[in-house]
Amino acid sequence: MITVEDITSSYGRKKILKGVSFTAMRGECIAIVGANGCGKSTLLSVLAGTLKPKSGEVLYYGRKAWSASGGRMYADREIIRGMTGYVPQENPLIPELTVYDNLRLWYPDKKKLKQELSQGFLNLLGIHEFSDKQVNRLSGGMKKRVSIGIAMAGMPPVLLLDEPSAALDLVCKEEIRRYLQAYLERKGTVVITTHEESELEMCSKVYVMKDGRLKQVDRGLRGEALVRMF
Amino acid sequence: MLAQAILLMVLIGMIAFCGTRNMQKAPLAVRADIGIVIREDNVMTQMALKYVENLESASQVCHFVELSETEGFEALRKRECVALIVLPEQLIEGIMNGANPSVEVYFPEDAGLESMLLRELTESGTGLLRVAQAQIYGAYDTAVQYGMLDRLSVMQGEIDSYNLAFALDRLAVYKEETVAASGRMSIVQFYGASAMILFLMLIGMAVYPVMQRAPSAFRRQLARQGTGEGWQCFCKWFCGFLCMGLLGLAAWMVIRVTGLFIPEASSLMQTLMQGTKDASHILAQTAAGLMIVVTVSVLVYFIYSLSGGRTAAVLLIFLLSVAMLYLSGGLIPSVFLPAAVQVIGDKLPTAYLIGAAGNVLGGYHEETFRQCMIGMGCYTLLFGLASYLFRRRG
Repeated sequence: MITVEDITSSYGRKKILKGVSFTAMRGECIAIVGANGCGKSTLLSVLAGTLKPKSGEVLYYGRKAWSASGGRMYADREIIRGMTGYVPQENPLIPELTVYDNLRLWYPDKKKLKQELSQGFLNLLGIHEFSDKQVNRLSGGMKKRVSIGIAMAGMPPVLLLDEPSAALDLVCKEEIRRYLQAYLERKGTVVITTHEESELEMCSKVYVMKDGRLKQVDRGLRGEALVRMF
Repeated sequence: MLAQAILLMVLIGMIAFCGTRNMQKAPLAVRADIGIVIREDNVMTQMALKYVENLESASQVCHFVELSETEGFEALRKRECVALIVLPEQLIEGIMNGANPSVEVYFPEDAGLESMLLRELTESGTGLLRVAQAQIYGAYDTAVQYGMLDRLSVMQGEIDSYNLAFALDRLAVYKEETVAASGRMSIVQFYGASAMILFLMLIGMAVYPVMQRAPSAFRRQLARQGTGEGWQCFCKWFCGFLCMGLLGLAAWMVIRVTGLFIPEASSLMQTLMQGTKDASHILAQTAAGLMIVVTVSVLVYFIYSLSGGRTAAVLLIFLLSVAMLYLSGGLIPSVFLPAAVQVIGDKLPTAYLIGAAGNVLGGYHEETFRQCMIGMGCYTLLFGLASYLFRRRG
């Protein structure tokens, strides 16, 4: 469960987030949509702990991840690390290493990694099929799946995805969607920023980000009607 | 990539070697032949002659040829020798007992430059001897006059030290001043040290998977896991340092093992390395070797931080290595470069690296060791800090 309370953030003098608040329950998927540069990635960076907000509060399962004290923001890295898996837009992979070696960087337990590859989430992502391949020989979809696999190290209860389907073909998009569905069935919480309408299907709440603020919209809105909200 | 690095190093080494073929010292262009006539077969005169022949100042410019009196004057006439010295009988005994028989020195009538020079020097030397003799007799007479014969030895000592100082000063005129382009190292050691540095720097091209910038998303993930940018930088450099150190060590082992099977390689190794048994020197040399790898790896790391991609970094490493080594006199000794270039080259990291490598190969030298360690330390800090800032900004 995620509780985001009145988060503000800015780059220099430009305010990006102006009091963002929302909640997401266990097994719930939240979609954040909006125009390019509206602050979706910034919000996810704050939730993932890679960007410090100006003010506000973020709680994961009731435990404070970001909190203000004496006018300053403090992060509980332990909570952020343990509770969230983060899939940024760019893939956090070392191109010269194999998929397996890349995964080994994030899975300290070799046995557990092998288990995940043979019958766990990594297997569900289909990574076992190309785990011995060098990363720079993988397709975009494969790389994205490995990125999700890395984010899933330690099986965090919250998954933060920043446009995971961008520049992927339909097959890859479907594979990722299937995987996320499985994750949600296991009561994981997903926060996803997206431009893909197909991904909105599995989301229980859809938020539009505009002028640094979030506005919940009808989850059935599609196409032009949704774009008009941007 | 490692094979390419080695190939490049060999190529550069060959160019440098060809470029320095002309560095060998040329023999003196002028060497005067002087005829010597000894009028009697006297052992002491022969000994004195040998002594003079072997004096550095004399042997550098003169070549003594022992001749009979007739042969001597014939050679002088034919200008086969620039001067003829006729030594009288009982020469040494005469000097010792005060009889002082005259030594006759003949020069050709229309003397050439060498003869004229020699005449001047002879006259000057004779004058000096006259003065010295006058001083000695004068001192003796004075001591007798004032009844101070007991102080005579002190006065003679003073006269000796004065004349010797004057005479020794003149030696500087004859003494050959050797300006070694390779410093205190031999040519083999000098190029050994340069090759060592060049090899290490070129190894930097082979360690790109370890040292090149990681994708920003990867760095952010690491930061999320609690590994800060500073620690990430340090670990990346350290991995590169280990790789470069191990590759360098492996190359060293290959050379050593080759020396076991090929005698020529073994003798080259002995020429290259000056062994020491002093424990503190061994420790200092090990520290210098370690510091070389540290500095080179930090420099390579800096280049990887500076350049965005792999190709740019590899090219930059190659170009900078060769350029800096050239400016620091690693390919052609810096004394052959223009003065302005020398000033710049002496301050480059490669200058300190070559100096330190010279310490490792050519034996411990305190002054060089201290200078190089300070230089390398400063550059290590500078490049380390710059790398951190570049990577953080990137």
